[in-house]
Amino acid sequence: MSRGETEHTDFSATPMTEASHSRQKIARAFLGIATALLLLPLFAIIGLLVTHGMSAITAEFLLEAPTAGMTAGGIYPAIIGTLWLIGVSLAVAAPIGIMAGIYLNEYAPENWVTRMINLAIVNLAGVPSIVHALFGVGAFVLFLGLGTSILSASLTLAVMTLPVIIASTKEALASVPVAFRHASWTLGASRWQTIWHIVLPNSVSGILTGVILQVSRAAGETAPIMFTGAAFYLPFLPQSVQDQCMALSMHLFTVSTQVPNVPEAFPYATALVLLTLVVTFNFFSIGLRTYLRARRKW
Amino acid sequence: MSDLAKKKIEVSGLSVSYGGVTALDSISLDVYEHEILSIIGPANAGKTTFLNCINRMIDSIPDARVQGTVKIDGDDVRQVRDVNALRRRIGMVFPLPVGLPMSIYDNVAYAPRMAGKTDKTRLDELVERCLRQSALFDEVKDRMGDLGTKLSGGQQQRLTIARALSMEPEILCLDEFSIAVDPVTTMRIEEVLKELRKEVTIVLVTNLVQQAKRLADRTALFLDGKLIELDSNEIIFSRRTADQRTFQYVQGLFG
Repeated sequence: MSRGETEHTDFSATPMTEASHSRQKIARAFLGIATALLLLPLFAIIGLLVTHGMSAITAEFLLEAPTAGMTAGGIYPAIIGTLWLIGVSLAVAAPIGIMAGIYLNEYAPENWVTRMINLAIVNLAGVPSIVHALFGVGAFVLFLGLGTSILSASLTLAVMTLPVIIASTKEALASVPVAFRHASWTLGASRWQTIWHIVLPNSVSGILTGVILQVSRAAGETAPIMFTGAAFYLPFLPQSVQDQCMALSMHLFTVSTQVPNVPEAFPYATALVLLTLVVTFNFFSIGLRTYLRARRKW
Repeated sequence: MSDLAKKKIEVSGLSVSYGGVTALDSISLDVYEHEILSIIGPANAGKTTFLNCINRMIDSIPDARVQGTVKIDGDDVRQVRDVNALRRRIGMVFPLPVGLPMSIYDNVAYAPRMAGKTDKTRLDELVERCLRQSALFDEVKDRMGDLGTKLSGGQQQRLTIARALSMEPEILCLDEFSIAVDPVTTMRIEEVLKELRKEVTIVLVTNLVQQAKRLADRTALFLDGKLIELDSNEIIFSRRTADQRTFQYVQGLFG
């Protein structure tokens, strides 16, 4: 067959393939619109916060305590307080959550006790944060006598974030192929050696991502810290975990609804700082995950 | 094999069931020191289950029930306290090669390191020797730091053999090792096994009847979890088999 005589009929569209093509276009359009709708509120929120709040963000706002009954000054104690809360809750929740996740995925026998525990974890993850707050008041503030303090508030946040940290740890561990474990056991390595040398190095990115996402969730919660350790207004910075502290989320609630004559930009600026903090954590988590994924070995 | 040869593995009345479904039905056989015993049989005959009983990997299968005994050098493996030490005596090669997610060097050095042998010069020697034994050394000697998981299938299978040898095992079990390997590599590994039998006892599960004929001293036929016949290759691959089914299976008439 010489050039120019090529037959095209074999590849031309039949009515049936044309119909499937147009269905494909419609499906793609709807999925795209759904994604755009998802992004819309995100940009709207950021836009709103920046336009209304940016003018209030100054060095003074970030580095000084509120004055004149919250109507002047800054939010420095709240920033520091939030860092205290997430730091202490992370120090409690991360080790316990990761260890429990390892136990449940690597050691726990397949029986009804394990199934009950897994079911409990899934359900705990769905408990509303205000319920965690009441639990925190009862268990930590009153029963254990820790009072309203950073410790009580952080423990409450830790209890709230634990189920999700356990679940994400389990998921990360389960993503390591079982064949690696079998190969390692066959070579005479113990379960713990297998976990330490084979499973953990290959699941650390997933585990850390889960932990960091819970940190940013804890940073934004108000209810669990409201009755357990976050203060309305404190003129000084916390010195230990037994002190109370201010917190960004709590402060946002306060200046938005509880105090008269607050400059209009203050709540927006506070929210902007909180959002920036959370987004920074999330970007850090994404970066870490990308870095560790690139080093993935199979 | 003479009657004077030492029994390395003694299996008697071994039965295994998974959640009530029988996988092995009272298997009794002996494996002599320094022989190659091959086990042939169609899929689902219980060949892999049999190997899993030798190094007690069967323990990690939740609903498996094991009866009967497997003895190595006269010791019942199920009475062994340190199962990891037991597994170091038995090299195991799976049908699909599993390179561990680490460098080629670390793959081979893994088992000795886990057993507490960390002397660098000794490990270097050991890694080189094992890679030479598995006919892989020349291909990887200049890139020992590359990931084991990035080797080709045939190379990975030789890597798993090197890894199995790194424990200096007394017994080497191979489970259909040639399934993911090209014919040339298969032949090279077969040459390796012939060399190795001077040092180790080999149990070779294979789906290739001709491989059993080429390599083994004796061959066993498993069928539906039962041992149908076990005899020297001379008998198994002749018309003089004790059981008609052996002859038929070897001839490819069923299975």
